[in-house]
Amino acid sequence: MSPLERRRLGSGLVFISPWLIGFTVFLLIPVCLSFYYSFCDYSLLQTPAFIGLDNYRELLGDPVFWQSLRNTGVYASLALPAGMLVSLGLALLLNQKVVGQSIFRTLIFLPSLVPTVASAMLWLWLFNAKLGLINTLLDMPPFAATIQGINVALGAVHLPQIQTPISWLTDPAWALPALAFMSLWGVGQTVVIYLAGLQDVPGELIESAELDGANAWQRLWNVTLPMLSPVIFFNMIMAIIGALQEFSIPYIMTGGGPARATYFFTMYLYDNAFTYLKMGYASAMAWIQLLIVLLLTGLSFWLSKRWVHYQSK
Amino acid sequence: MLIVRGIILTALAGVLLYLLLFTGGAVAPEARGRIVVVYWEKWTGEEADQMMQIVNDFNNTVGKRKGIYVQYLSMSNITQKTLVSTAAGVPPDVAGLWDAQVPQFAAINALEPLDDLAKQHGITPDYYKPVYWKGCTYEGRLWGLISTPAAAALHYNKTLFLKHANKLKAAGLDPDRAPRTIEELDRYAAALDDIEIDSYGKKRIRASGHLPMEPGQWIAYTAYWFGGELFDAKTDRFTLTSPEVIRAYEWIKSYSVRLGRDSMTDFTSGFGQFNSTQNAFLSGAVAMEQEGPWMANYIENLKPSMNRWKFPKEKERDMSPEERRNNYEWGVAPFPSAVPGQDDVTFAAFDVLLIPRGAKHRKEAFEFMAYVNRQDVMEKLTSLHCKNSPLRIVSPDYIRNHPNPYIGIYEKLAASKNAHGVPPIPILPEVIDELNATTQRIYLLQAEPKDALADAQKRLQEKLDDFRKRQRLRQGGEI
Amino acid sequence: MSVNTLNGNGNKRIARQTRRRHRPERWLVFVALVIICTGFALPFIWMISTSLKTLDKTMSMPPQLLPSPAIPGNYLTVLNHPKLNFPLLTRNTLIVAVLSVVGTTLSSALVAYGFARIRFKGNSALFGLMLATMMIPFPVIMVPLFAVFRFIGEHAAMPLLGTLTPLWLPAFFGSAFNIFLLRQFFMTLPLELSEAAQIDGCSEIGIFWRIIIPLARPALSVVALFTFMGAWNDFLGPLVYIQDPSQYTLALGLQTFQSQHGGTEWNLLMAASVLVIIPVIILFFLAQKTFIQGIATTGMK
Repeated sequence: MSPLERRRLGSGLVFISPWLIGFTVFLLIPVCLSFYYSFCDYSLLQTPAFIGLDNYRELLGDPVFWQSLRNTGVYASLALPAGMLVSLGLALLLNQKVVGQSIFRTLIFLPSLVPTVASAMLWLWLFNAKLGLINTLLDMPPFAATIQGINVALGAVHLPQIQTPISWLTDPAWALPALAFMSLWGVGQTVVIYLAGLQDVPGELIESAELDGANAWQRLWNVTLPMLSPVIFFNMIMAIIGALQEFSIPYIMTGGGPARATYFFTMYLYDNAFTYLKMGYASAMAWIQLLIVLLLTGLSFWLSKRWVHYQSK
Repeated sequence: MLIVRGIILTALAGVLLYLLLFTGGAVAPEARGRIVVVYWEKWTGEEADQMMQIVNDFNNTVGKRKGIYVQYLSMSNITQKTLVSTAAGVPPDVAGLWDAQVPQFAAINALEPLDDLAKQHGITPDYYKPVYWKGCTYEGRLWGLISTPAAAALHYNKTLFLKHANKLKAAGLDPDRAPRTIEELDRYAAALDDIEIDSYGKKRIRASGHLPMEPGQWIAYTAYWFGGELFDAKTDRFTLTSPEVIRAYEWIKSYSVRLGRDSMTDFTSGFGQFNSTQNAFLSGAVAMEQEGPWMANYIENLKPSMNRWKFPKEKERDMSPEERRNNYEWGVAPFPSAVPGQDDVTFAAFDVLLIPRGAKHRKEAFEFMAYVNRQDVMEKLTSLHCKNSPLRIVSPDYIRNHPNPYIGIYEKLAASKNAHGVPPIPILPEVIDELNATTQRIYLLQAEPKDALADAQKRLQEKLDDFRKRQRLRQGGEI
Repeated sequence: MSVNTLNGNGNKRIARQTRRRHRPERWLVFVALVIICTGFALPFIWMISTSLKTLDKTMSMPPQLLPSPAIPGNYLTVLNHPKLNFPLLTRNTLIVAVLSVVGTTLSSALVAYGFARIRFKGNSALFGLMLATMMIPFPVIMVPLFAVFRFIGEHAAMPLLGTLTPLWLPAFFGSAFNIFLLRQFFMTLPLELSEAAQIDGCSEIGIFWRIIIPLARPALSVVALFTFMGAWNDFLGPLVYIQDPSQYTLALGLQTFQSQHGGTEWNLLMAASVLVIIPVIILFFLAQKTFIQGIATTGMK
């Protein structure tokens, strides 16, 4: 190593030292500990006692574990694509120079500022089948007609029809979609990141595409989206991680019911840790969660080569 | 714009500075020179205010004399917070938890045993109604004292009974009294149902006679009214697949079948919050409910007209409880049992005061707990909270002046030999969660009671066996 | 977030020329935005309206959009609520939020500079490792982190559990998300800047402090705002680490309104929620432009 390299290594390490220390103390050690606890019987009050693979064995035979995993999967597959589409669409709209742009931006961003507890309780009530605002709105002619139309379509293909008023949170079939719908309210933060990404799309490219006669859709599809793909990818990864960790909203709103239809993975993990006092079992769950996240992001990275275009290094 | 920004930012900074400098948890002046007992309690709102009265009484009398000051703190998520703070070595001195935490916390060594302190204070088992004392013990040791108890009973709406008097009479039922057997309860419920078919040909429930899940706070213990038990402590096995338990859940299912699952979900999802005028019982949506003695207080606060049915409140002053009952639009009776000859069946729930392990002031904390359990104090507290007394002996004045004129019925139920408390299961919270989910599966008609209970039995027994195995290994020092 | 080295002046001219052609499209966008934003604002309006109602009116059927009678006194009730101690909750939240912002912004900038501007051996490997840590779900470390805090508390003669410290201490050691954000930004600043300063005899830390930090203000403001919001609204963290009610944060304190028996004072809860978000709304509205500019990598003019 040359003196220059050595000096660079030295100053580089100095600069990243806060993270190195934080990483070791607040991440590496806890991760290792959690790995160890996952092989232990541990109630937080007693010293951890090694029991080998017992926790994992118990987990695999626990129907509630599987159910919570399935719920989380279903929720993620509803909330993820919907959230991606809505936030991207909103960002494209908010990027247009229109009167009141900053007010619109603030309005979209506002909900992500509402404390989780407050928004959970607000929606709890918006969703109430009889008193809630949503069903009151759905009862109004234009919406009621739409539902009728959907029902006719559903009837035509022999699918069960929508029964109104919808019991959003007490009907097991509606509870997860309702929570996914609610999650759209909080896309503000993602929208802002998209907006920032859009500032990066060179105006020249769009203008020249326009001069070449490309219509708005072609400009979007061939210029904007490819230029934005790294941001889309970044947001997708963050959304996957977020959806798999969903906790506060269902914890406050439904407590996992009805009949565990909204019992998410992190809720079962939390209950095991702090209600049933089985930290070892909870740690084993946490490790399975970590493996799933790593698997999914790994897969996303692998697939990303096909559609993510980096502008430059 | 820049100026506006500057002003706003300065203002924010000012507020920040003010808050940092001038607020903070201050110690009450009267606590100076005394030992401060930190008391965490789950209650908020009115119940918290009422417990505060007792705490103030203590601080002004016994506490003053013995140099103890109790600091009351309301908190949410109290179970988890108590546990975590105990693990962290900074627990409160007294924690007000639920009955289900007694076996759970005792089994993982999270509590201070209290036998010695109870002995010093002359507190003995025969001081209490048996079911409550039993609930405070686990594996032969005492772990807590009662703060306030309850007993489940049937509450019925007299107006709705009269409104449907003809239907009831046609079914051979007496509209002037409550049902006495489960079979009778079902027939009353059916006669009291108010169902219409809407323009789409869909069945809509406007009001219902009874719903087992409304409010359903003790739904996990339904088996008690069918002569069943959830758990056999001798063999350490759950008994969820016994014929009695299955029958209990068949009964729950029968309501979904009769009313129609979708109509029922639709009906119940419109219920408002429990503590509001939209409460199903207060709004007349459900005519008969399994509830506790506090209903008198809730009704007094939310719908006082139901407590002034025939005459103004002042006239009640010189009346006996029996005479006062005529002034209440609602009645109370033992919740009917399915087993002939087994009368006065109840689930006796309670709130409990515990001392977490490692609490700094164990002795002083118990002073306060013992004070709460003094007959006069307990009668004051349970009158304020509108609950029955856990003590074996109650004063005649207590029954007479209690805000709930039916208190005698709850007292009788709690003292009955058919009063059941929480079963001594170390993983009880998990059991209750599982049974609640099982009940939901059954009433949503997702599974047959027999199968759902077999699932619950299998899962819970495995969980318990695992718990025991690890407990044995720990005790044997093998791990 | 990628790199844009193109200058924005040219397209402004073209944009001006083509603006006329855009009008009908813009009009449609405006209408669409009005409709969508109404939908987004509706729950929020509902929240404000509820905060002004009496308790029994919050449950009225059909729901009322305009409160009558309007009770602005609900806000005073909340501020003086004996069970809530709003000033104390605000104080605790501010302590956590401000310390988190200061800590995260400083440390993340430092680390991001190291990753972005110093070519040392193992740089990209460590950066990859840092990105990977973003995948670790909080629940994985929630329980053991507790043990770590207990250990530090016992051995550093500085009790951590039972104080607010666990909520802000980690912020002083950088956060992966923010380091990533800032690193991407620092990458876009021309290397010539640093080289010129180096020739003038400026040290690495001098370049960081005197040249990079002033240029990075938009990006830093993004990090600061995101961190502030995160800390302001965090529920799970305080739920696990805070036990003593005198240390509750606003997010946790709000839950006190959800009483054990379900008797929620909706009007007060909503009034409290409005009070809680007002500071953040003001911050966002003022910083909105810098904010979006900041996440975008258009720092150079």
